Amino acid sequence: MSEDPITKSHAADFPQDEPRIGVYVCHCGSNIAGVIPPEEVVEFAGKLPGVVRSIDTMYACADSGQRLIKEDIAKYGLNRVVVSACSVRMHEPTFRGCVAEAGMNPFLMEMANIREQCTWAHGHDPEGALKKAKDLTAAAVAKATFLTPLDMIKVPVTKRAMVIGGGVAGINAALDLAEQNIPVTLVEKEPTIGGVMAQLNKTFPTMDCSI
Amino acid sequence: MVDAARQPLIEVKTFTEVEKVEGYVGNFVVTLREKSKYVRADRCNGCGACTKACPVEVPNDFELGLAPRKAAYIPMSQAVPLIYNIDMDACIHCYKCVEACGALEAIDFSMEDKLVEQEIGAIVVATGFSHFDPTPMTEYGYGRFPNVITAMEMERLNNSAGPTHGALIRPSDGKSPKHIAIINCVGSRDKRYNTSCSNFCCMYAIKNALLLKQMHPDAELSIYYIDIRTPSKGYEEFYDRARESGIRFIQGRPSEITEDPDTHQLFIASEDITLGKVIEREYDMVMLNQAAIPQPDQNHMSSVLNVAQSPGGWFMEYHPKLRPMDSPTDGIFFAGACQGPKDIPASVAQGSAAASRASRILHSDSWQIEPTVAVVWPDRCVSAKGQACGICARACPYGAIDYTKGLAAEVITAKCHGCGACVGECPHDSITQLHYTDAQVLAQIRTLLAIEPEKKILAFRCQWCSYGGADLAGTSHFEYSANERGLRVMCSARMDADLIYEAYRLGAGAILYSGCHPQDCHYITGQISGAKRAARLEKIFERMQMSPGRFRTEWISAAEGDKYARIINEMQATLDAIPEDVLKAEIERLRPEMSKRLTKMGEVPGVAQAMAQVDFIVDEMIGKEKGA
Repeated sequence: MSEDPITKSHAADFPQDEPRIGVYVCHCGSNIAGVIPPEEVVEFAGKLPGVVRSIDTMYACADSGQRLIKEDIAKYGLNRVVVSACSVRMHEPTFRGCVAEAGMNPFLMEMANIREQCTWAHGHDPEGALKKAKDLTAAAVAKATFLTPLDMIKVPVTKRAMVIGGGVAGINAALDLAEQNIPVTLVEKEPTIGGVMAQLNKTFPTMDCSI
Repeated sequence: MVDAARQPLIEVKTFTEVEKVEGYVGNFVVTLREKSKYVRADRCNGCGACTKACPVEVPNDFELGLAPRKAAYIPMSQAVPLIYNIDMDACIHCYKCVEACGALEAIDFSMEDKLVEQEIGAIVVATGFSHFDPTPMTEYGYGRFPNVITAMEMERLNNSAGPTHGALIRPSDGKSPKHIAIINCVGSRDKRYNTSCSNFCCMYAIKNALLLKQMHPDAELSIYYIDIRTPSKGYEEFYDRARESGIRFIQGRPSEITEDPDTHQLFIASEDITLGKVIEREYDMVMLNQAAIPQPDQNHMSSVLNVAQSPGGWFMEYHPKLRPMDSPTDGIFFAGACQGPKDIPASVAQGSAAASRASRILHSDSWQIEPTVAVVWPDRCVSAKGQACGICARACPYGAIDYTKGLAAEVITAKCHGCGACVGECPHDSITQLHYTDAQVLAQIRTLLAIEPEKKILAFRCQWCSYGGADLAGTSHFEYSANERGLRVMCSARMDADLIYEAYRLGAGAILYSGCHPQDCHYITGQISGAKRAARLEKIFERMQMSPGRFRTEWISAAEGDKYARIINEMQATLDAIPEDVLKAEIERLRPEMSKRLTKMGEVPGVAQAMAQVDFIVDEMIGKEKGA
């Protein structure tokens, strides 16, 4: 890396633009909507400063949900998007990709986890879950207000793989990589490769030889 | 095996261990320890003259000790690569092997372990599994009764390449056994040892029974089982074949094996669920079908690779359904049983799958990584003003910060992994983390505590472990108090003391400071920075006479959903036990103390501006609540 890809002057700065936030509250079928009424979160979020569009959607991750977000970005001139739905571990890449397709920087999208960390954990307390869903959505709106566009950092790639373990899985991985013209180091702690499989007689269900 | 050795693009390094993995996706530097074989790979031609000459015999691990090997050895005749080894623990230094090797001069007693570094773009971890040792299960007598053997011992005994050339014999008298029992789930599905199912052993028991039946048609075979699990293609048919061939399946977990000390005959006492009674049957030989367990060095490898472990000790995948081959570290993938017990077809499939995941990276000229890195505000850095500092550089687990007194600290972006340890530690608030700036995180804290803050449990969680733990609590529907309000940063190291003070100043009822277990930390030592800070905060709050339990530090892995739910419920119980007026009075009493510690916060670029704007959001939230 010859040059530091982060332009230090702008990235950590306070955003200069007036926020125009779109909030999308997902039903996730009955996963969210079975515990709390998403419409109430929509109404609550719609009144928060900076929010210019607030709407519920049956499945935000589905084509129809993503299309809605993309169309709204153009229609309402959105410059931030909040998706109140599931875990970032599930769909953060999905919604980052979605807003990017509409020409928005993917780091201007923020998620509120109102499924795994709300309705699924508080089925016994729908009232408490609704309060929490509103707070989590408000926090995502607040964070989104101060998000700045960021660019992914490009790093070079060393064209060599290492496979640790020379059993049946490791040998197969190494062969597959090598056959794609990628050099591989296959590391095995024992004096021979083969792993447990080399110790076996025949293997089920076809009873063929293991080595 | 041979294909791998023959493939010119594969460099096979046996007797080699991974010492250290540094770097990041596309740019790992792996340090390997090539253990000394005392035989030079470039000279050994695999003739075996050294073995013939060697006078020392020791048990051969490859044959599970059922056969001897020499101190100059290969573990098995088909060893790949075919290079001999001198076992220095057994060697008596008679040098007969050196003589036998003669002009080849392949044996070199001066060889030492060698550390080599390799630059690597992506890593596939396929370290496999180990077998449960049934010795602690005294009820089965393994180790005491010679004719009770393990599955792997059976594997070598009926193998034509094994020590008996495939002749099955009883260890006690060398006779061919007629009545043979196989006991399944030895050490698996057993709350004393491993609660989980070992996946492949039902099929494995059937395979061994069928093989024995083929070789010895007059043998009588019984398999003791809890359930027979044959879910893959062709497996149920295989089970049918076994039943049709006359193999007896007895549903019941044996309670005890006893032995006639004179004849070494064995007696298995068990329930037979089909008959509805307790039975005892006599056998010549019993095979214990052992559980698959993680490798003995799995914890060590987990630290070397910086990857987490699931309950039971297996390596933990990024997502069980969506990214089953990925470790949480970009560029490191899992294949085979190191991630959980699996049979050969599944392991082979995973090897290909992991190769495919890795080749996405290896076929690219460059790879993109998240820009959530640290950035210094040079005008705020005290080093630039001539003060000695360097705290950020010491906090960084990756050596990604250049510190020279007199110059502002500088983050080397390509080395920064984005844990935020430097941000959390900088006493002058001169560094921030992109996407997790103070302004952004404080905005979240304020909104989460906008309404009835004294009732709230604010949970700071790291992206990799405790956020995942909270997710798993939900996925498993472990219910916990809805007063919890979660907040995500990348690592507990980023959980700046100022963020905690501010949350208490705003009136938070309780705060959970959570992250990975130390060995699971995604950022090598990030958790250690976080844990030290949490310990300091605990002392400070104790001196302030804050009610115990209002600040709690817990390390919760992504596999500990139950723990996450339990801790939140315990914290709720702690809050419930403090009378409301007492709690409110305590919050008021401590508010000025918290403010005092926050003097610098307002100076952080963007914070004052952001807080003014957040006030409007909070006003709207409170207004709505009052109106409702």
